[in-house]
Amino acid sequence: MKKALVFAAVAAGMTTLSTGVQAQDCTTKIGAALPTSVDWGRPIAEVAQFAVDQVNEAGGAGGCSIEMVLRDTQVDPKVGVDAAKALVDLEGIKVLLGAVSSGVSMPILTSVTVPAGVMQMSCCSSSTAFTKLSEEGKTNGLWFRTFATTGVQSAMGAKVAADKGWKSVAILYKNDDWGQDMSRLIAADFAAAGIEVTANVAINDAQPSYRAEVTEALTSQPDALYLALYPTEGKSAVREWISLGGTQNMILANSLKSDEFRDSVGLQYLGNALGTDTASPRVESADAFKAAYEAKFGSQPNGPGLANSYDAAMIALLAMEAAGKDASGADIAAAVAKVTDPNGTAITADTAGFKAAKTTLAEGGTVMYQGATGNVRFDANGDVSAPAVVWKFTDSGTEEVEYLSLTEVDAFIASLKK
Amino acid sequence: MIGVISYLVFFSTIAAILAIAVLGLNLQWGNTGLFNGGVVASFGAGAYGTLILGGTPQDGHWGGFELYYPLALLGGMIFAGVLAWVVGKLTLRLRHDYLAIATFGVAVAFENVMRNATTVTGGAQGIRGFERPLQSLIGSGFTYNLMFLIAVLTCLALVYVFLERLTVSPFGRLLRAIREDETAARSLGKSPDKVRLAAFVTGSVIIGLAGSLYGTFYAFVSPQDVLPILTFQIWAMLIVGGAGNNKGAMAGAFLIWGSWTFSGWALSRFAPVEVQLYTGSIQFVLIGMVIVGMLLWRPQGLFPERLVVSQPGGGSRGKTQAEGLT
Repeated sequence: MKKALVFAAVAAGMTTLSTGVQAQDCTTKIGAALPTSVDWGRPIAEVAQFAVDQVNEAGGAGGCSIEMVLRDTQVDPKVGVDAAKALVDLEGIKVLLGAVSSGVSMPILTSVTVPAGVMQMSCCSSSTAFTKLSEEGKTNGLWFRTFATTGVQSAMGAKVAADKGWKSVAILYKNDDWGQDMSRLIAADFAAAGIEVTANVAINDAQPSYRAEVTEALTSQPDALYLALYPTEGKSAVREWISLGGTQNMILANSLKSDEFRDSVGLQYLGNALGTDTASPRVESADAFKAAYEAKFGSQPNGPGLANSYDAAMIALLAMEAAGKDASGADIAAAVAKVTDPNGTAITADTAGFKAAKTTLAEGGTVMYQGATGNVRFDANGDVSAPAVVWKFTDSGTEEVEYLSLTEVDAFIASLKK
Repeated sequence: MIGVISYLVFFSTIAAILAIAVLGLNLQWGNTGLFNGGVVASFGAGAYGTLILGGTPQDGHWGGFELYYPLALLGGMIFAGVLAWVVGKLTLRLRHDYLAIATFGVAVAFENVMRNATTVTGGAQGIRGFERPLQSLIGSGFTYNLMFLIAVLTCLALVYVFLERLTVSPFGRLLRAIREDETAARSLGKSPDKVRLAAFVTGSVIIGLAGSLYGTFYAFVSPQDVLPILTFQIWAMLIVGGAGNNKGAMAGAFLIWGSWTFSGWALSRFAPVEVQLYTGSIQFVLIGMVIVGMLLWRPQGLFPERLVVSQPGGGSRGKTQAEGLT
């Protein structure tokens, strides 16, 4: 597996060099500040590089081939901010991809990218604080994120429970910014859907055992369990939950859509487990990302943030193409609307799609990017909404149970708000 | 070129803020021999204190008193000092490794309180600060960063001068006496407990000042800023620079933070494509090796402690440690 990854990375490097240099004689740098020293952070960086490679195969963006300069944030705000500042000042980037944790993205945004006028696009930062910051007009429209899932996902969780007729639910959530947000939103959505929340328990990282937390949730005797966890602590918590006789009715956030989680819990215990996620649109080209990913990395794109990271890189590059050569960060940020226009020409998320987008944009048209997480469309605060899917685990990966279009998602969320 | 200068200004600001924290730790460990394993608690107290006092009101959590900036800064330092006083009262009877473990525990507890006390500290989402002082006048560009650097360097210089005066004063001599042999100090009619507490609180207030400046500069602080890694970084700076020497403490801060960031930059620029994704791990190995190498070959640090004869009136005579021992 490791070897395959290294090989893939080498191959990626070769393609960048060969096609990039032939197609263009100039190079534009973009920055990426991602936690590559963390196990789940590395694939997020790999998939961003993969998007860059595809764009270079299509002849680059904004008239130049693209070089992604990758820096490690080590999930440390100091290190991440310094890396971002170095990328902006020393490499002269106009677009920054990153970071993953909101606690790193936020200081980068306030102290580096906004003062320098650089567009920042995060794959995975979910904190609602960004929305507030943007509402106060402090991001200058330079902030975007492709992580649609907090609001959409909690609503879908409530829908699953309502459809299944589960009357009471206990929640286990990861005790970080994302988990605390999820716990608050899902509890509100359950309440709105008339489902009782019997317990809402925080799970801290890296504990050897979660017996105390699991017992607390178990004593309330819920019909079902909602899990807003990552695979590492998710598998320990769920194993203890099941071994203590907890119900196998489970609702999983998209972060648990991982082979590691399925294998270590055991598929036989996950028969009643339903997951939620944002989805690709129902068009033929929707599987482009999945197929390309499988061809490249030899496995399904299961893992937190992969599809989001790919879309973040692709949209940023499309916007660079739309803004033209030597555009400023603000110009590129303004061009994002042109490449995620719901009335634009639909394009797929691959090399061919990027080529098609180039032609359309050159003719002065707009495009609708159909990405790995769906027809991504940003609102005024740089937040996204997306179609949703309910999924379950199978032998080979995951399988879709139900699909909800963007309109249906929006309608359901509106019905909860009443 | 302007990019390089702009980056260096930014880098120096962070390094200077960390240098202030290292100076605080140097007073505790280098001069008094207190093994503080919870540096990050004081640092975090300063940052959170300042941002809560000076911040703008926000939905969902307490705070946002919009105090005049110098008051907020002072408040952060006082918060760090009060925390240190309470912790010191409880733990300073412990010696060496026991003290280290107890203070480390306090730091971990501090992080967990910040992470879970959502209504006070914003929880894991962190707390958003206020627009940096005078930013509306100067703007947020390079000039502002330069002004901020000058302000931080001024703080650093003030702390340095204060600590240098303290070291050569009779009180500095008393600190070293307690560090070397507490029983002997007691036999001379000194009261080590009070003095240790005073040194611990003073050092923590200085570390709190560093935290306040850090929070001000980023206008944001979250539990991720107060993880134990920061304690480790600040200790590494002191060990490499030279415990007991204030110049060494500052040099260590610039050196370690410099190698931390430079190795990241160098790896991202020069490492071959296939190892790019592993640069984070390589960086950790490199930095670990620098510290181990330092401990093996120059355990006294780059700038060894100078023994001084402290006299009232400030007359002092410096010797290197080697001379003093002969």
